Amino acid sequence: MTILANLLRKIGFRKQGDALSRGSAEELRAAFKARYHNFTLLLSANNKALEIMSEMEEALKGNRTFGMSFIRAQCTGVTVNVFRIIQNLDRIAPGKYKELFDRFHDIQNSINELLASKKLPRGDRFVIPFSEIDRDVADQVGSKMSNLGDIRKNLGLRVPDGFVISAAAYERFFEYNDLQSEIDRLLQASSVDELDQLFSLSAEIQQLIIRAAVPEDLADAIREAYRELTIQAGAGVKVSMRSSALGEDSAGTSFAGQYRSELNVSPENLIQAYKEIVASKYSLQAIAYRANRGIRDEDIAMCVGCMAMINGTAGGVTYSRNPLNIRDDSILVHSVWGLPKSVVDGSAPSDLFVLSRMHPLQVVEKKIRDKEFKFVCYPDEGVCRLDLTGQQGALPSIEDSQATELAEIALKLEEYYGSPQDIEWAIGQDGAVYVLQCRPLKQSESAPGQYVQAPGAAEGEVLYAGGVTAGPGVAWGPVFVIRKDSDALLFPKDAVLVASQALPRWAALLNRAAAVVTEQGSAAGHLANVAREFGVPALFGVAGATELFETGEEVTVDALGQRIYRGRIESLLTRSDAVRNLMAGSPVYEVLEEAVEHVVPLHLLDPDSSEFRPKNCRTLHDITRFCHEKAVKEMFSFGSDHRFSERAAKQLVCDVPMQWWIINLDDGFKEDIEGKFVHLDNIVSIPMLALWEGIIAVPWEGPPPVDSKGFMSILLEATANPALDPSMPSPYANRNYFMLSRNFCSLSSRFGFHFSTIEALVGERPGENYISFRFKGGAADSQRRIRRAHFIAGILEEFSFRAEVRDDSVSARIEGYDQAVMKEKLKVLGYLIIHTRQLDMVMFNDASYNHHRDKLLQDIHSIITPLVARNAVPGRDMENSPS
Amino acid sequence: MDTFSVLLVDDEVEFLETLVKRLRKRKLDARGVTSGEEAIQALKETPADVVVLDVKMPGMGGLQTLREIKKMYPLVEVIMLTGHASMEVAIQGMEMGAFDYLMKPMDIDELVYKLQDAFKRKQLQEQKTDQVVEKLSKLN
Repeated sequence: MTILANLLRKIGFRKQGDALSRGSAEELRAAFKARYHNFTLLLSANNKALEIMSEMEEALKGNRTFGMSFIRAQCTGVTVNVFRIIQNLDRIAPGKYKELFDRFHDIQNSINELLASKKLPRGDRFVIPFSEIDRDVADQVGSKMSNLGDIRKNLGLRVPDGFVISAAAYERFFEYNDLQSEIDRLLQASSVDELDQLFSLSAEIQQLIIRAAVPEDLADAIREAYRELTIQAGAGVKVSMRSSALGEDSAGTSFAGQYRSELNVSPENLIQAYKEIVASKYSLQAIAYRANRGIRDEDIAMCVGCMAMINGTAGGVTYSRNPLNIRDDSILVHSVWGLPKSVVDGSAPSDLFVLSRMHPLQVVEKKIRDKEFKFVCYPDEGVCRLDLTGQQGALPSIEDSQATELAEIALKLEEYYGSPQDIEWAIGQDGAVYVLQCRPLKQSESAPGQYVQAPGAAEGEVLYAGGVTAGPGVAWGPVFVIRKDSDALLFPKDAVLVASQALPRWAALLNRAAAVVTEQGSAAGHLANVAREFGVPALFGVAGATELFETGEEVTVDALGQRIYRGRIESLLTRSDAVRNLMAGSPVYEVLEEAVEHVVPLHLLDPDSSEFRPKNCRTLHDITRFCHEKAVKEMFSFGSDHRFSERAAKQLVCDVPMQWWIINLDDGFKEDIEGKFVHLDNIVSIPMLALWEGIIAVPWEGPPPVDSKGFMSILLEATANPALDPSMPSPYANRNYFMLSRNFCSLSSRFGFHFSTIEALVGERPGENYISFRFKGGAADSQRRIRRAHFIAGILEEFSFRAEVRDDSVSARIEGYDQAVMKEKLKVLGYLIIHTRQLDMVMFNDASYNHHRDKLLQDIHSIITPLVARNAVPGRDMENSPS
Repeated sequence: MDTFSVLLVDDEVEFLETLVKRLRKRKLDARGVTSGEEAIQALKETPADVVVLDVKMPGMGGLQTLREIKKMYPLVEVIMLTGHASMEVAIQGMEMGAFDYLMKPMDIDELVYKLQDAFKRKQLQEQKTDQVVEKLSKLN
């Protein structure tokens, strides 16, 4: 390109004599065409860059979830487009703004540093036996397993023998199959807000991992570790395999039950089970959870713990404090017959023992539930559900003495870790207690003072009373009953999820659910944990809920008050808190926050200021703004630099008593003309003609009557501000300039003290259509000017523009609509620039403000068709893959 | 706009085939190959106006292919299209003369617009080159 430009210069391409030969006129026309094309490419990149910037800002408001792939894609998109802007400006004015490339690269490097994932060295052993694990190796085995090793080593509590397949193993497995880049690709192509996409994304990634080969060195290491385990735990010992994800503690998240566990795995299946657990990093609920909590996908390494399987008589979960009430320090023991599985996954009712923490520990309350079945180990592999016959189901699954022993363990752990704990345990055939898992417990604020629990106090029809509070709070919404997995796909936003069991898999729906109601499940289950973390009211143990409620029926769920009401109960809803922004403070959110700092803030505001230079561009927005300003100027001056009458400014022949000058950039005229004048009927610029319709729609009545204060304010301002002197030279002088092509128009106008620019692209591509508008100045004092700025912004907003007021200037934008709509919007603008002139002088009080506003709106509505006032939605047809 | 020829290069066969089909429906002369090496070969046999290039491919890879294409056919416009958003690769590609860098998932209309813009640029560049050649021949 540059070589070509130099060559052209060398052979005299750019030097034009006064008289043009036919050949050189042809060349010049071609040169104009090329320049204009560069200009349109610049505009389209400019548009795209601004669009991405506003998407990035929007994401920070926390109304959507996003992951690193979103940030990476947005940063890439915005840098590419800003680069294209600079490139095209450089083609329009070769070499003139070269410094911008350096500024661009500096900014790009800063963003790059942010996005590069910092991988810490994590040791190189693929497997680590429990005997060598404590909290010092947490970054090799994940916090869940390092806790277990720690408890065993330092507290002498009983933990089954075992080993951990480490983070290094995970990385080896992923690198060997180049899994991460394939996963990133799949993540980039899907929207985690769309449930159906999320389902197929999860399935696809998990299959990818399960199909991948575990490299021999890693497989050997796992088999060898198992062989050593048999020395302590006996030949043929089965193992339980549990996820222990690294990085799950970030952002104070608990990751309850997002991953898979495999119970009673035989030695032949170790490798397969390993892959399945690793794959569960991409289970539906885990992807959704990470997205909602802003956890970086690549920060999570899946370690897998393998422990000798305890085929116990009873099992369950202990909470060292009440998870539902921060002021309740009772110890809660949930227990069932057989394996603790049904407590953990919330699939069956469990016994509850409540112990006060006063010494000696005592059971103060007991709820023995009717347990219909239990889980036990199959002799060969896996677990099975056995129905409980006779008396056993109704008997307590543990003795009070065992509950006390469990409570003591809980207190020990709480003391050791210095915070409330959530402990999964099993009682072996020998009657000994084994700790299977231990992690910090998140307690819910029951918001004292704000929520007074008064069962039955609310007015309204109670549809159900009772159940177990699994997550406090009140919410209202239409019921959606889930009977089978595929129903989940259709789950609407803000509905009340009603299901038979409190299965962990429903966690993926929690960011969409207003509340959760289930027939079975306890407050100790995974779903309950996640519901509390997300602040979603959850009421479990609502007998017959799936029959009692119908999809679509509106209910209010008071989870703490344990009641479900028909319809919307305002008195309850007003007490509940707003949903918090789950993304804020998360690692992903922070990365976006920092990235946005290099992209969005605008420091170059005033093009006339001496600060308006490339070296002062600190963000991509600054570069964008700078280039746009310069590109328009370059396009404007090129015509006058080359005395080429076809492209020189021509005066518009019209009835409006103002001077309008027209520069044809490319194909804005029906036919090229030589002379100094152009008639409207020779203009074919779609946006210009639309704007013009607005300009001439209603004759201007002249300046509004000014009170004496308003007039004084002008005089004072004019003496204080020399820039307001109309005799001062200005780039555009006291005239209105149009630059046109068929689909493009820019209008720079100066009416007295008022400066405005309008730029519009209106063509066949709705996605590229836009109108931008800037307005500044005025003759009255600053207070009145600011008032008028707000006045104009308010009217524009009424017509779906996004408007921003800064001091006395307004900038507004609208984009993405089809031609018909864009033309209407231009009419509105055309009308406004004529009729808001000098309105600053009458902006002295609200009555006058409102009077003028009403008049203007009335006029506008009379000149546009009613269709526009209503909001058409910009049409965009995003697709996952072209099909 | 006149029709023009597009060569798509992507190792994801399914994606490639549907994209070729969809572009043909939009009256573009589209064909597809699955590697950089094949792309070079295909251009030698039948020229194309615009190439759409996947950045991450086994073998020659997108950037290498881009470099080769630009060396052999400087006027052919190349649009990069990738599932792996990478700022560094994107800017490298742009500096090597790519017309644009797009990310999947891609709106088909948006892709067609980009193709049209790229083709227009190619036409304008060709026109310019022709004029230079003409001038030079007159000078001699």
